Amino acid sequence: MSEEYAIQMKGITKVYPNGTMANQDVDFEVKKGEIHALMGENGAGKSTLMKMLFGMEQPTSGEILVNGEKVNLTSPTVAISKGIGMVHQHFMLVPSLTVAENMVLGMVPTKGGFVSDYKKAVQLTREYSEKFNLYVEADARVADIPVGMKQKVEILKALVRGARILILDEPTAVLTSQETAELFTQLVNLKNQGYTIIFISHKLNEIMEITDRMTILRGGRSMGIHETSSVTPQEISRLMVGRDVVLKVEKEEAQPTDEVLRVRDLEYVNDWGKKMLDKVSFSVRKGEILGIAGVEGNGQKELVDMLFGFARPNHGTVEVNGQSVLGLNQRQIREMHVSMVPEDRMIFGIAGTATIEENLISDRCTFPRLNNGPLFNMKAIHEESARLVKDYTVKCKNPHQQVGSLSGGNIQKVVVAREFSNDPQLIIADQPTRGIDVGATEFIRKKLVELSRSGIAVLLISADLNEVMELSDSLIIMCGGKIAAYFEDTRDLTDDLMGKYMLGLERQEADQIRRVCHE
Amino acid sequence: MSRKNSIKFSLIRGLAAMGIALAVAFLLILFSANGSNLPEKFSSSLAALREMLISPVIRKNGTFSVKGLSDVLAGMIPIMFTGLATCIMFAANQFNLGAEGGIMLGAFVTALVAIYLPLPTPALMVVAVLVGGLSVGILMLIPAVLKAKLGVSEMVNSLMLNYVIMYFINYLMNSYLADTSKGITQTFPFRANALIPQMINNGSRLSWGFVVGLIMVVLSWLFMYRTRWGYGIRMTGINQPFVMYSGMNVALIVILCQVLGGFLAGIGGGIEMLGRYNVYNWSALPGYGWTGITVAILAGNNPLFVPLAAFFMSYLTKGCTLMSTNANVPSQLISIIQAVIFIFFAAQQFMSGYRQKLVVKSAQEEQAKARQEGERSDQ
Repeated sequence: MSEEYAIQMKGITKVYPNGTMANQDVDFEVKKGEIHALMGENGAGKSTLMKMLFGMEQPTSGEILVNGEKVNLTSPTVAISKGIGMVHQHFMLVPSLTVAENMVLGMVPTKGGFVSDYKKAVQLTREYSEKFNLYVEADARVADIPVGMKQKVEILKALVRGARILILDEPTAVLTSQETAELFTQLVNLKNQGYTIIFISHKLNEIMEITDRMTILRGGRSMGIHETSSVTPQEISRLMVGRDVVLKVEKEEAQPTDEVLRVRDLEYVNDWGKKMLDKVSFSVRKGEILGIAGVEGNGQKELVDMLFGFARPNHGTVEVNGQSVLGLNQRQIREMHVSMVPEDRMIFGIAGTATIEENLISDRCTFPRLNNGPLFNMKAIHEESARLVKDYTVKCKNPHQQVGSLSGGNIQKVVVAREFSNDPQLIIADQPTRGIDVGATEFIRKKLVELSRSGIAVLLISADLNEVMELSDSLIIMCGGKIAAYFEDTRDLTDDLMGKYMLGLERQEADQIRRVCHE
Repeated sequence: MSRKNSIKFSLIRGLAAMGIALAVAFLLILFSANGSNLPEKFSSSLAALREMLISPVIRKNGTFSVKGLSDVLAGMIPIMFTGLATCIMFAANQFNLGAEGGIMLGAFVTALVAIYLPLPTPALMVVAVLVGGLSVGILMLIPAVLKAKLGVSEMVNSLMLNYVIMYFINYLMNSYLADTSKGITQTFPFRANALIPQMINNGSRLSWGFVVGLIMVVLSWLFMYRTRWGYGIRMTGINQPFVMYSGMNVALIVILCQVLGGFLAGIGGGIEMLGRYNVYNWSALPGYGWTGITVAILAGNNPLFVPLAAFFMSYLTKGCTLMSTNANVPSQLISIIQAVIFIFFAAQQFMSGYRQKLVVKSAQEEQAKARQEGERSDQ
């Protein structure tokens, strides 16, 4: 009977060196030729389980069978030789090489054994590209191709290496809806050709659309294997989080007052001469949440960099409470009561091997209330960190635990606890709930609304449409470095309408957009 | 993993590292030992090991040697200072290797003050050592500012600076400062009131500088773990973009830690000079800076563990010297043995499998406990 299964993982337990029990007695089975979803919140143990299947981590106990044969996957090389391929969420490509060169990395075809044969690599790439109907530009440099194509390169890379079982780690996280639809067609194609696909995601509608069966993980344990056709989205959601989460945030009507952030005619040309921001003007007032929606890479990152002193614009002004922030450093900007939740929390938001407490005081370590002359006032610091951990429900043993050992959601709660508790007048929240579990997401969203209603100006940048629509009082859409649309009221907005502006199919008139300046 | 288990693991790991290192050392000694047959070689190898392990503090007749212990403690003085200096610089991820030249310059400047500046009794000592420390602190501005402002590798700069310092001092000594009435290159004697008094008068040269060293250990720990500046240094070492984003001045931290490190190495040199010698006669880099790097790595950049690491290194050095003089083990072999012991101690992954087992056990225990509590509350 076991011939029926491509993958069987039995009783898998994984304990990381820092003591985190990522998987506990997990059974995971994938039939040959199916699309199998692996679902769960962040920190539920999905990535760990897949890393073990791809030989990047070794299980502490339990066994893995591939096509009914017991295997010992000590490295990705071994996993590949067993026909397992993985497409990582963050692409593992060399940007400066061409698509064909990336395809043959580590298995370069040669002329006479020494000289690499580039033509053969290109030929191989085209051959596979046609065979699987995955179109890629073999001669283009990876740095120059769009995200969707990079993903296809990753999939082809796995196929070239003989993979019959493909693991896709949140493949749609970086794709537009059109690209997602295209990917799904191709996945179904692969399935019809007898390939087995493991699909990691926490987007319910995608799972319902293309998978046959699913395994749900919660807190490192398996919540069982289910036929996709026999469960409802509500049931899945309950299995994932253990309760029905309603991601509706209750909020009263905004009563915006004075202008806090004033951005006018901002222009920025990046190091490669590309105009990333083009005459961007808007204002954020006390007591309102202004959302910025848009497909990533349309100037949002550059805008945030200008606002928080990481880069200087070529033209334009940025003022907080009437004072220019251009040319100031992060300390000076923070002194103007500006807080920021950074997009990449692992790089800017935390110091991973430091304790939770040390991460909570980084912006206020020089404040007199936390110091006794030259020394830290440890009592005050302990009190402050204990209070923040409690108020923000950071799940940890104590504030002296390493912050890096927490789950993504709890790490983000630490960041948010610090940024929201420092008497801010303006909060810049850049993708505040990206990739974190539902519980933490709900908490952070509620907190943002609460803060804005207490009279704080909030600028919310998010690629998550639900999030911007749910939280924002008013909304701008960015496309190609410009503001494409301004909606004073977000209540009647639809995904469709927003999509048109986000993809540049439509654009509002200048005077309509100009209303966001509230002049 | 609980703190108790962590300590248990560290202890077992340390002892195992020691055991393996000694076994390897034994084989190496056996290889070169005197004796015509194996039993003879065996017993002379054992005697050599005994020299290294026990002789530093135990006399031939089996009694405890105060002189031996004070020799070891005296040997700790300079490497405690260079160890602390390196800890502070490495904690910020600044791989400044200037403690070596720093201790030489500190010793030299302190010596000059002790010879030429007429000051009353306690003041001269203190001023001489402080001036020595400050001179190195200021010199470290070169690699520090270049790193902070231009991104030049502090490792390369500080490494080259060591030789600049050494040759510059040698030039000054040979051309201007040497006492020409003596057969070797040395300065005129220090003023008598500049010499740091000895804690014990048995020829060990264990001066009160040892106590100053221990005080600096505590101060360094306080600085690193209980002040905003030390906090900034440690955070910079963990994640520099985070420090910038949080509103701290990264450039200042990069400069501060290297200047402080230079200062510590400098006063270490001054204290070593006034505590052990009465003339300055170093003509080459003393090696204490390199040992200081070893000490800092063994101590995991935590100042509190510096005395332990320094004791270990000092003991090992003395033991190896005794082994080479009394047991005829060639000095090249001594270096190999020292290296083997160090490798096992510093190896991050050594016994990580055993650690993993402890971790798994304690994680399972915690889970079980949590489950029991959960069941109890359910009832």
